[in-house]
Amino acid sequence: MKKILTIIAITCITIKGMLLINGCAATSEIQAKSGAQLWGENCLRCHNAPSPADYSDAQWATIGNHMKVRASLTSDEITKVIEFLQSAN
Amino acid sequence: MRTLKFMMLGLLLSGFATVYAQDATTGATKIVVSGAGCFGAVYNADEDIKVNFNHYGFSPVFLWKLSDKLFFESEIEIQDGNMELEYGKISYSLNKYMTFGCGRMLSPFGAYGERWEPMFVERFPNSPLRADDEQLPDDTHLAWGAMMGLDVRGGIPLGSAKMNYALFISNGPLLYKDENGRPTGLIQYENLLDENNTNKELGGRIGILPFSNSSLEIGFSGKHGIAGSASDSIMNLTDSSYSNYAKIGATATAVDFNYVKSIPELSSVITVRGQYTSLTVDKADYYLNDSTNYSFDNSQQNYFAQFSIRPAMVKSKLFKNLEFLVRYGSLTAPKDAAWGAKDLNGAGGAVTRLDLGLCYWFSWRSGLRVAYEMTSRPDGTKTNELLAKFVTGF
Ligand code: HEC
Repeated sequence: MKKILTIIAITCITIKGMLLINGCAATSEIQAKSGAQLWGENCLRCHNAPSPADYSDAQWATIGNHMKVRASLTSDEITKVIEFLQSAN
Repeated sequence: MRTLKFMMLGLLLSGFATVYAQDATTGATKIVVSGAGCFGAVYNADEDIKVNFNHYGFSPVFLWKLSDKLFFESEIEIQDGNMELEYGKISYSLNKYMTFGCGRMLSPFGAYGERWEPMFVERFPNSPLRADDEQLPDDTHLAWGAMMGLDVRGGIPLGSAKMNYALFISNGPLLYKDENGRPTGLIQYENLLDENNTNKELGGRIGILPFSNSSLEIGFSGKHGIAGSASDSIMNLTDSSYSNYAKIGATATAVDFNYVKSIPELSSVITVRGQYTSLTVDKADYYLNDSTNYSFDNSQQNYFAQFSIRPAMVKSKLFKNLEFLVRYGSLTAPKDAAWGAKDLNGAGGAVTRLDLGLCYWFSWRSGLRVAYEMTSRPDGTKTNELLAKFVTGF
């Protein structure tokens, strides 16, 4: 149990540290990417990528929430991808 | 230690109660019904019944967007005569980097259970070799299946890389009992309502995506909980003293990886994925039979790795929808346990399995999967089967 709590403590510190580093980053390659590119890179990682026409705007909004949680995508990424899917369907 | 856990639980619950109260009034909900159905068959030349239609399933998924921050997901799984709520989870987005969730949820331990197991995602007709009741006397649900509890999770951008995390607290694992009600050393992780002790399990997974194109993700997971119960006691048959299982814990770790890349030179997309899982249960005495106690090193290992290539960018409609698959897996039960696959000398050994498969995709999530599967056991016995499964996503 102590081992696990230590692992969790290290995890929390790592996450916090990474957030700090992220805050300081002057340029960030991923953040500069378009929704279309992020869709092409991320939505085929676990399953085949669905195409924009597969769902309506309202359905994409709901699926966006699902994939954000299930795939732990970053908030900016999922927002951009869903905006792209809604604009291209 | 216990105070710390209750503080964590209290904090999570109070945070959630406040934010839910603020958001519950926001009105319009957006519902999506999704899911998949499947039908499967097996051919085994060595069996009396050579062809068997052996598998069916229907798993509707219901998704509710209750507000921008509040989200509910659930799945009802109907498979081979059983029906259950596979998951029913409510999530609240606390900020950009953290979402809180509670309910019955797929365990975020490892990548397989939460990410690769769902029916339309798994490209083979069956799951990789795993510690289930085909190989052990009981389903351990070590690296797949549901848990009851709370989690926090999120994705964090790191410039040209990124990471994600999921930390959870859930009902702890159970020490499996034999038909006489005596613990055997096997573990059952899907301990949903039937908590046998006050101890909760803590665990989590961290995923690192080192490349800016997100092609590679490596995940590290761990979980620990007390599996034994103070009410299960064992008599030492030599000196007639009693001890109990109140402190017997189970610790599991996993490493997973996923690499997906389009290779224009080959007009193809390749996927390489795999997971290594290990489980160690604290040392304890058990009954071998009514007159003998025994103890053993209770640790087991399980892994699989798979490679697939789909020539998705060629012109031929037939070939662009075909995915060629190969998978290898191994499961090693504790050497001296009374259960698990044994070699001819009675010692536990590894069951291994090789699958050569094909998947023809009709749409992004409907396909016909076929695989020739070769399983070898430590006693030298082998099973060769041809499996087929049709999955239709909706
Ligand atoms: C880390 C793995 C992972 C990634 C990355 C991922 N998905 Fe998914 N996705 C899943 C899983 C697992 C399911 C099946 C959920 C279930 O049935 O329980 C799913 C289901 C879906 C579905 C079916 C409806 C639903 O929500 O269940 C859609 C549509 C979808 N994903 C779209 C996307 C899009 C768009 C992206 C890119 C932003 C994406 N996915 C990225 C794992 C992933």
